[in-house]
Amino acid sequence: MERREFIKSTAYCGLALAFGGPLASLRAHAAATLPPQPWEDLYRDEFAATLGDAMGYAFHCSNCQGNCAWKVYARDGMVTREEQAAAYPPIGPKIPDANPRGCNKGIVHSKQMVQADRLLYPLKRAGRRGEGKWERVTWDAAIDDIAARVVDSLQGQGLASLMVYCGTGILSQGRRAGPLRLGSLLGAQRLYPASAVGDMFTGASLAYGLATVGHTLDAWFEAKTILLWGINAAVTRIPDAHYLMEARYNGSKVYCITPEYNATAKLASNWVTVKAGTDSFLAMSLLHNLFRDGLIDRDFVREQTDLPFLVRIDTGDLLRHRDLRDQGKDDVFYCWDEASGSAQPMPGTQGHFKKSLRLGKLKPALEGAWEVKGKDGDPIPVTTVFAQARAEALRFPPERTQAVTGVHPELVGRMAKDLAGSDKAIVNIGFSLHKYVSGTMTCWAAALACALTGHAGERGGLDTENNWSLGGIGPLSSPKPARFASGFFSEWMNGGMEQTMRRHYSDAHLKEAVGLDHREIGELAEHYAETSDAWFGKPRALLLFADNMLQRNKSEAHYRRAFIEDLDLFVDVNHRMDSTALWADYLLPAKSQYESWDIRGELGYHRFCNITVPPKGLKPVGETKSEWEICLLLAQAIAREALRRGIAAIPDPDFLETKDDKAAPVMRDLVNLAEDFTDHNKLTNDEDVVRWLMEKVPAIAPWTPEDAMRHGYVTLNRQAGFTSPLYANRPFYSFEHNVYLRQPYATLSGRQQFYVDHPLFKQLACMTPTAMTPVRPKSFPLGFWTPHTRHGIHSQWRANAQLLRLQRGEPYVWLNPDAARARGIGEGDPVRVYNDVGEFQARAKLMPAVPPDALVMDHAWEPFQFRDRLGLNNVVAGLLSPLELATGWGHLSFNPNWDGNMLAFESAVEVEKCKEMTA
Amino acid sequence: MRQLGMVIDLNKCIGCQTCTLACKSQWTDRGGREFMYWNHVETKPGKGYPRDWEAAGGGWDNDKLMPGRLPRLAEDYGIPADFNFDTALFQVTDQPLRPLDALQWGPNWEEDQGAGDFPNGYFFYLPRLCNHCTKPACLAACPRQAIYKRETDGIVLVDQERCRGYRYCVAACPYKKVYFNPLAGRSEKCIFCYPRVERGIPQACAYQCVGRARHVAYLDDPEGAVHQLANVWRVALPLHPEYGTQPNVYYVPPLSPPTFDASGKPTGTPRIPDDYLRQLFGSGVDAALATLQGEIARKEEGGESALMDLLIAYRHGDMFRLSRPEEGKP
Repeated sequence: MERREFIKSTAYCGLALAFGGPLASLRAHAAATLPPQPWEDLYRDEFAATLGDAMGYAFHCSNCQGNCAWKVYARDGMVTREEQAAAYPPIGPKIPDANPRGCNKGIVHSKQMVQADRLLYPLKRAGRRGEGKWERVTWDAAIDDIAARVVDSLQGQGLASLMVYCGTGILSQGRRAGPLRLGSLLGAQRLYPASAVGDMFTGASLAYGLATVGHTLDAWFEAKTILLWGINAAVTRIPDAHYLMEARYNGSKVYCITPEYNATAKLASNWVTVKAGTDSFLAMSLLHNLFRDGLIDRDFVREQTDLPFLVRIDTGDLLRHRDLRDQGKDDVFYCWDEASGSAQPMPGTQGHFKKSLRLGKLKPALEGAWEVKGKDGDPIPVTTVFAQARAEALRFPPERTQAVTGVHPELVGRMAKDLAGSDKAIVNIGFSLHKYVSGTMTCWAAALACALTGHAGERGGLDTENNWSLGGIGPLSSPKPARFASGFFSEWMNGGMEQTMRRHYSDAHLKEAVGLDHREIGELAEHYAETSDAWFGKPRALLLFADNMLQRNKSEAHYRRAFIEDLDLFVDVNHRMDSTALWADYLLPAKSQYESWDIRGELGYHRFCNITVPPKGLKPVGETKSEWEICLLLAQAIAREALRRGIAAIPDPDFLETKDDKAAPVMRDLVNLAEDFTDHNKLTNDEDVVRWLMEKVPAIAPWTPEDAMRHGYVTLNRQAGFTSPLYANRPFYSFEHNVYLRQPYATLSGRQQFYVDHPLFKQLACMTPTAMTPVRPKSFPLGFWTPHTRHGIHSQWRANAQLLRLQRGEPYVWLNPDAARARGIGEGDPVRVYNDVGEFQARAKLMPAVPPDALVMDHAWEPFQFRDRLGLNNVVAGLLSPLELATGWGHLSFNPNWDGNMLAFESAVEVEKCKEMTA
Repeated sequence: MRQLGMVIDLNKCIGCQTCTLACKSQWTDRGGREFMYWNHVETKPGKGYPRDWEAAGGGWDNDKLMPGRLPRLAEDYGIPADFNFDTALFQVTDQPLRPLDALQWGPNWEEDQGAGDFPNGYFFYLPRLCNHCTKPACLAACPRQAIYKRETDGIVLVDQERCRGYRYCVAACPYKKVYFNPLAGRSEKCIFCYPRVERGIPQACAYQCVGRARHVAYLDDPEGAVHQLANVWRVALPLHPEYGTQPNVYYVPPLSPPTFDASGKPTGTPRIPDDYLRQLFGSGVDAALATLQGEIARKEEGGESALMDLLIAYRHGDMFRLSRPEEGKP
């Protein structure tokens, strides 16, 4: 039915229909026995039709950590409906099972896959970039032209000029393998996605040498105390959120720490109303109480943390072997041994010959001041990390920090007591915290709170997000070395974001809030670019897969201009037209969630590895192809072009390999690119890739693709755990290898690390966890932050019609009713949000849940949903967190566990009523 | 007659709308039903869906049907709008992506708004569907006698062959959960997924509830969660019992974190006012909340609680008991 016709035919719904009384004689409410009703087959037939004639399995592979097994039904080659498989087995009688996993996004994909924003055919830009003029071209024409221009770039601008980046739209091991493998063979640049989107947990990295630690989320059910810090689990962890209320029914205390009242605060025992960006003060007050009241598991911290390590009082450095001996080691550290009354090296540090945390006869002191004899005979005054951390924490009594955080000391006291008094306690750090400069410190302090109270292993502890160690994938995704670039730093540099930082934060303000002014941050960035192991350089040719970089980057329009102006070639491989695809030179239409084989198992919220197997006979949507097939076509075309130009291979001296006992540059073999890509015809399509992974990944054994195809998932084995075994019958907890087997942690100290004497940490007085003030400037009155939405996985599904009907059809900001009234803004009014970085327009939604000094918006609306296509990131200044630029110190050097964050929540705005947009 | 019932635990509802869309893709994404949400989740307090349904009349005053108002499409239900994907995304334009018809309302329009003043604001989610009432006003209002209640499971259905689309039922339902299908010219509503239930598959909204908030069982099943929660523990209550239709969908009322006093100290008083909950669920709500709080406290102190175990629902599959116990069986 036509929409117009529909509205017309329902217009008379508006008439009021009133009864003067019963119309007809009242029938008995208790039903009389009725004969069978043949008409009822109407709905029975409809149900049968949705079940279709074929069924497959799928998960929804985007930057969602849910990883849920679904059944996908199809009829006549068209998907009819999806429903959660709801078939995961229970792990034990007293742990609620994981069914039915799957949310409001997954359930609309059958509509999304055929929605009118779907890319159906290869398109070539026919006007200016972003103008909206497209020409339909054949796959052959598109691939050949792209390949020629890629070879141009490699030949003319060098290997590093090419970026092949698969963004967070595809994080599964199957579909992601294509772009990773192609980029790796070509030596292309690649960003660390978690850093590019600002999802690094640098506080956890400081403490553990690992960014993602934690539990399967069924562990919530067993915990007696749960702190949800900057995580709105009822919105962002929909499939696992049930464990939270079930935990409360099981006697757990749940604290939800967040500046706005939200769906998670609603189910908590207590909402801890922290003022935005002041979390590190709250964390320090929590530590204050633990230290003050002696709520400390002394045996645990002596063995498992660096708190007994000695610190030089004169320099503030950790006492090292080199301080005591000529040519001493840099990575051997000391405690004050109460047994011998002397400084003794601690086993298990990176430089110690003993690779165990067992203390043997050592009795490390936690507090005190002593002198040790230096290598030149002079006494060195020392104390302990414990004493330093304690002194720092005691500066932040909750009675004093309440003025900053808004959190009453009573609540701080309850949290400290519950944390210390619970056998199992879990502190979840959400993705919001590291969107502030202080996030690193908040998370580090929370890790210290867990350490002081002995929460690790089965006793719980910090949870950033657990990831599994699948292993064995390297030969598939990284057959040759690639150019790894820092996510946050590359985006900042490529987008020229220093300019918006300068505009939004005054020198004096930055100096006061961060400790460095513009010049010093600039110098630090330069130093980082020179000394870090990360790759830098603006790309000239970009093959972009499933990444909405022109939506997610801060200082949106500014970033876009700076980034794409130098691109000679911009190819976007995507299943839909997103805000980034709009600006591409070529659009290559990809298959989406149900159409390609895929497998995903690295997400550690549960233990199941899901598989996508399209329903039999599924018809292709338009001319879409799988990412693997697209990469293979590109590899073949690049090989043909190279052969035509007589370039067999390009040497890549940035990477060396050993050939005949000699170091030789890695060769980027162009003419054999297709053979290398398919590993000599062993990997020709998406199904081959999934089968390869199931065979080669040790954590999947002994399951086969056939097992997975029967159920939609397989269960990972005990090898899947990084820092603990994954036991079959209980929730997963991190660090059992360390706590029970006394294996060293992946840190310089070999322990949970709470003292860092990197010069930058010393300069900024952050050697131990401490508080950092919000960086948000005072020049605009409202704080601006953008928590995750329940109606999208970032920008995925943000433009879905089904979900937009469950919102208001277009972007809106959340305003406190008082803040709105003071500005003459009413419910639903069009408003203009602005600052010195940029502006955007949206509608106002009045929310008592939001503090009066804030403008909040659920994130990742597409810029094309706003007037003039100016999205919400236009008002977010580029900002770096200096600490995240530290490099060359122990476990702090560029790697997947040490990269920084794009800071999203440190900007300030004003809002005013504006004119209605006319169509 | 046997009655199939449902209990929705409002503490476990996270407002994710998965049930809304499970129902939509099962039944209402086609054939003139596009604007209907047989099941939806609204934020309370609020005007709800359709807008101001609580002020739209219907239901019973003892044995007298009360007058009711028909909701309007655009203003009260909301238009199931399409969007200008083609022009906004594939053409030269300065127009943003927008509904082809401006939206005035929708099934989740007031999401997370609620009431109160910061920091003591509050809201909760209320999933709503046809209550398959024991004394259905829709049934009584139908001049065609097209509405009936099934003997085997108490499901209330609008006979799509008898119905002539007079819409007396739409006005009479005090929950405004009967809809008029303008394409078919008949009234339609939630059918409690009888085609699924008959095959032993629970209702889409219940089975697909990822928050595990919904229990389904026959009311006369003594082991069933509906009987246990509604009749034994009395923590599950019908919505607006004063409407007189005797609903068979029950709700476990919402707890809420305490308010803050002027100094920012938590008070111990739940932020959702008891009065408001009494308006929704009647006077039984005080006892229900006290029971819930008492049993939670028991668990916090390390004790056992059969009620908590029931609400936890260790096995998803155990939340649904669709087999029909034989009458007279021990």
